[in-house]
Amino acid sequence: MIRCVILGYGFLGRRLAKELALNRVEGVKLVGIASSKGHIYREKGFKSSELPEDITRASDFREGSSLELVDGRLADLLVELTPTNIRDGEPGLSHIRRALEEGMDVVTANKGPMALAYEELTGLAEERGVMLLYEATVGGGMPLISLQKRCLMADELLEIRGILNGTTNYILSRMHFEGMTFDLALREAQMLGIAERDPSLDINGIDTALKIVILANSLMNARRKLSDVKVKGIRKVTSEAVAAAKESGMAIKLIGTASEEELSVAPRLIKLGDPLCIHGTLNAVNFKLRILGNLTIIGEGAGESTVSALLNDIREVARARSG
Amino acid sequence: MRVRLTLALVDRPGVLLKALEQIALNGGNIISIIHNRDRITSGYVPVSVNVEFPDPASLERAKKGIEGSGIPVIEAETLEKEIATMILVGKADVDALIRKVEEHGSKISALHLTGGVESPCLKLLVEAPHDKLRPLLSSLEKLAEEWDALLITEG
Repeated sequence: MIRCVILGYGFLGRRLAKELALNRVEGVKLVGIASSKGHIYREKGFKSSELPEDITRASDFREGSSLELVDGRLADLLVELTPTNIRDGEPGLSHIRRALEEGMDVVTANKGPMALAYEELTGLAEERGVMLLYEATVGGGMPLISLQKRCLMADELLEIRGILNGTTNYILSRMHFEGMTFDLALREAQMLGIAERDPSLDINGIDTALKIVILANSLMNARRKLSDVKVKGIRKVTSEAVAAAKESGMAIKLIGTASEEELSVAPRLIKLGDPLCIHGTLNAVNFKLRILGNLTIIGEGAGESTVSALLNDIREVARARSG
Repeated sequence: MRVRLTLALVDRPGVLLKALEQIALNGGNIISIIHNRDRITSGYVPVSVNVEFPDPASLERAKKGIEGSGIPVIEAETLEKEIATMILVGKADVDALIRKVEEHGSKISALHLTGGVESPCLKLLVEAPHDKLRPLLSSLEKLAEEWDALLITEG
């Protein structure tokens, strides 16, 4: 039985804990949960009815560092779900680094560490002979990394292009269909909980840039950093610009691109019939392959759907370790 | 994009096939092939192949592939111009914009201004030879940055 701990007990952590406590992945037992305040460790595992909404109120809650669940051979698998920090990747980076050093397998949805320290972390995992899976970092539940690594590995990936941020796509869609100004569409997105109170990472294109770095490094064997991406956000997009695009049969979309020549994030004009021209909070990614040609994947890029990617990665670890 | 590739083929059966394979592998659709047998020089026959490629990158890969098969590509001439739509958000010097487009052997075929002085928005239709479009876009990006404007291009 693989003993699993979850670091980061926000929306994703709670949803995943419930799935694991319901034994959705055979051979994996949830034994620990940690938030920034402390943790709970139960060697026998959690039943779904025993999962606390707030872990600090559990009788066996212990204050202290999340790393206590990683040290001391208490678990075999770390699921790292702390919030993304683009400055230094912490605390996720230390969590993942320590777990790999301890010989644990790691599954994560945290973009920061994978975008800032991809080479170090994948190198460390390889050196220690453990698994580091991160499908959930990009495109929510859309299979992008596993799709390329499993089904397209013999072809040559020439370019990745896509809408990788649901918040900006929602704002641009509302501007396109309702003629709203940027400020109004943003305020609406915030009221609906689609945009964060501080939406700067999304609207300035940084969230998309992090995902483009992860995809380029992982699928195109690049060695790129966040600073290598030319980034332009959507803050300057006006309703006049959106209307002008619409008149020409196009929509303005925030597009992340990775090719051999460059990595970029910018608002682009996309023809209304283009498979990438999807609306609302949907994400869409196009792989351009030498033999296959173009392949487009569309799906929800955040929230609940991300749990699907996490469960798939956890199952992948369980399968590898059971054989 | 339509391109005329001029290849120097050794006058031997099967050599042209190698070149055509590379074109097809890279998504090229062959429109016509002309052997210039009256222009044989030092054992080489110049052959002109008109091809429709999906984009400039496909053309470049095909050229590399053909040359990798030992067949020299003498010329790759773009036969058509590309029309690109772009939107410039913010204050801009239209004269400087037109000059920059013309410097790149291209022209603005339509220009539409909305938003007035407060929130100017220029929509441009630019005609450019395929091989000139990318450097032109890159120059226009720089101009837009200088003006603190946002250039939105297709792609």
